[in-house]
Amino acid sequence: MSELKPMLELNGVHTYYDHIHALKGVSMTVNEGEIVALIGGNGAGKTTSLRTISGMMKPRRGTMTYQGQNISGIPAHQIMQQGISHVPEGRRIFKDLSVRENLEVGAYTVTDRALIEKRVQEGFEFFPRLKERETQLGGTMSGGEQQMLAIARALMVNPRLLLLDEPSMGLSPLFVESIFDIIVKLNRERGTTVLLVEQNASMALGIAHRAYVLQTGEVKLSGNAADIANDESVRKAYLGEE
Amino acid sequence: MDLATLLPFLVNVIVGGLVLGFVYAIIALGYTMVYGVLQLINFAHSEVFVTGAVVGFEVFRVLKGVEMNGYLKLLIALVAAMTISGALNVLIERLAYRPLRGAPKLVPLITAIGVSLILQDVLRVIEGFQGRFDLTYTLPGGFANKFCAAESTCAPLGNFLRGVGIDMQLKDVILVIVALISLAVLNYIVNRTRMGKAIRAVAQDRVTAGLMGIDSDRMISATFLIGGALGGISGVLFGMKFGTVNAYSGFDPGIIAFTAAVLGGIGSIPGAVLGGLTLGVIQNLIGVTNILGMVVGSANLEVIDASYQRIGAFLVLVLILIFKPTGLLGKSNVEKV
Repeated sequence: MSELKPMLELNGVHTYYDHIHALKGVSMTVNEGEIVALIGGNGAGKTTSLRTISGMMKPRRGTMTYQGQNISGIPAHQIMQQGISHVPEGRRIFKDLSVRENLEVGAYTVTDRALIEKRVQEGFEFFPRLKERETQLGGTMSGGEQQMLAIARALMVNPRLLLLDEPSMGLSPLFVESIFDIIVKLNRERGTTVLLVEQNASMALGIAHRAYVLQTGEVKLSGNAADIANDESVRKAYLGEE
Repeated sequence: MDLATLLPFLVNVIVGGLVLGFVYAIIALGYTMVYGVLQLINFAHSEVFVTGAVVGFEVFRVLKGVEMNGYLKLLIALVAAMTISGALNVLIERLAYRPLRGAPKLVPLITAIGVSLILQDVLRVIEGFQGRFDLTYTLPGGFANKFCAAESTCAPLGNFLRGVGIDMQLKDVILVIVALISLAVLNYIVNRTRMGKAIRAVAQDRVTAGLMGIDSDRMISATFLIGGALGGISGVLFGMKFGTVNAYSGFDPGIIAFTAAVLGGIGSIPGAVLGGLTLGVIQNLIGVTNILGMVVGSANLEVIDASYQRIGAFLVLVLILIFKPTGLLGKSNVEKV
C-alpha cells in the first residue's frame, strides 16, 4: 500500500435514533484497497456508522464523501448503486426467497442476465455450501449458511467497498475462520475495500490494515491495526486481557 | 326431491360456489398483495373493484350496438378496467397512503376507510350525472346462454361437464378461464420476473431491499398497480356474473374477499385463492341449506335460506381469528438466531 487514496471519508458525522445521540461527530477515512476494522463495545456506534454510510440512516450533521462525491442524505438504494454493499447486522436474509433468489435480488441493479448468472456461479465457488442449498428457502438455513449467503448476496454487484457488520456473530469458530479467510481473499484477489465491524476484536485486528476504536459514539483511537492491537487500553477493554 | 336428485344438485351448487369463489379469489389477491408490502388493509380496494365493474359496464354499454365479436368486447372491457382500476390504486397509494408511511398503523387504516367512502360517492355522482344508479350489464349475445346447449357445437370440455351433470352458463365458463389466466400471469410475474422478486423482497424486509438497490416506493407502486388491475378484472367478472352493480356494490364482495384473504393467510397469494374458493363454496352451500332441510325433513335447516349467506363469511372470519389467526397458508414469523 504505497500510495493511499481515500475512498470514503466521514467528517464530524452525527446520527440519532430519535432522541438518542448515537454518533457524536465521527470522522474516519477508508483508503482504497484497505481492510479497516471498527471495534468497540456495545452501543459504541459501530453498527450505526455502517448504517449511516450505506444510507439506512441519515446523518443529522457532518459530511460523508465517497470517491469524492457527497453521499450524506442519499437514500440507500442510490448509495448502493455507487458501489457500496452493506452486509447488515443479523444478516437479514430474505427468508421466503430461495438461496438463488436471494442472490438474484442482490443483483437487482445488474440487468445483464449472463453477468448475473456468472456472479451466482462465482458465489457458489466462494461458498460451495450455497450451491448445495440453491433451491432451499433462505430462512431454513443455519446461521453460518445465512452469513455466507448474506456475503455472497452483497458480492453480486461486485462492490468496490464492502461494509460488513459482525460477520462472526453467532457462528462456530470453524465458520468464523472461513468467513475471515474469504474476506482476506476478496481484499487481495479482487481489491475489494472492506470496512469491518466486529465484536471479535482480535480476529478483526488480525486481518485489518488499520482500525478505529469507537466508544459511546466517538472515535477514541485510530491507527495501524498492529499498533491498536498492542495498545494497552485496547487490550484490556476489547481483547480480554487483564 | 330425493337423494338421487340431490347429489347432482349439490355438485352444481359446489361448482357454482367455485365460480363465485374465483371472483372472490381475484378480489382477495388485491387485499393480500397490498397487505404483503405495507401491512395495510386497503379498504379502498372494494371501490377499486367497483370502479372496474363500472368501467366494464360502460364499455359494454358503448359497444352495445357495435358489430364486434363478443369476446373482443370482453377483452376491451377487461383491459380498460385493469388500466383504470390499476391507475386509480396507484394514485390512492401516492396521495393517501405514502404521506402517512411513518405514521402508526391505525392512521392509514382509517384513511383507507375514508378513501373507500369518497370513491363510493364519486362513482355514484359520475353515474348519477347520466341519470343512472343501478348499472345493468348488456352482455354480448350468447354469454348468458347455457354452456354447450347443443351437443354438436360442444368441445370435449362441454361434453364432459354435461356428462357429469354440471350445468353452467357460458359466462361462468368464461369467468373461470379469465380468472385462471389472471392467476397464471400473476404467478409468473411474482415468481419469475425481476420485478416480482423485488416486490417479494420489499414485502419481506423493506430496509434490506433498499440495500440491494431496490427502490421500495417504486415496488409499492407496482404492487398497487398489479392489485388494482386484479381489482379491475374481478369487477368486470362480478358485473358479468351478477348483471347489476352500483356504486355501493363493493362492500359485500369486498368484505367477503377480505375474509378470504384472512382465511388463506393474509399476505399469502395461494392463500387468497384457496380462501376465495372456500368462501364461494360455503356461501353457496348456505344458500341452499333450506333445500337440504326439505330433503332431510329438518325444519331447522329449512329456515336457513339465502339471506344467511353473509353470515357464513363472517362466521368463518371470527372462527379463523380465534383458532388460527395466521390463516390456512399463512406463516407465523419465527425469528432465527
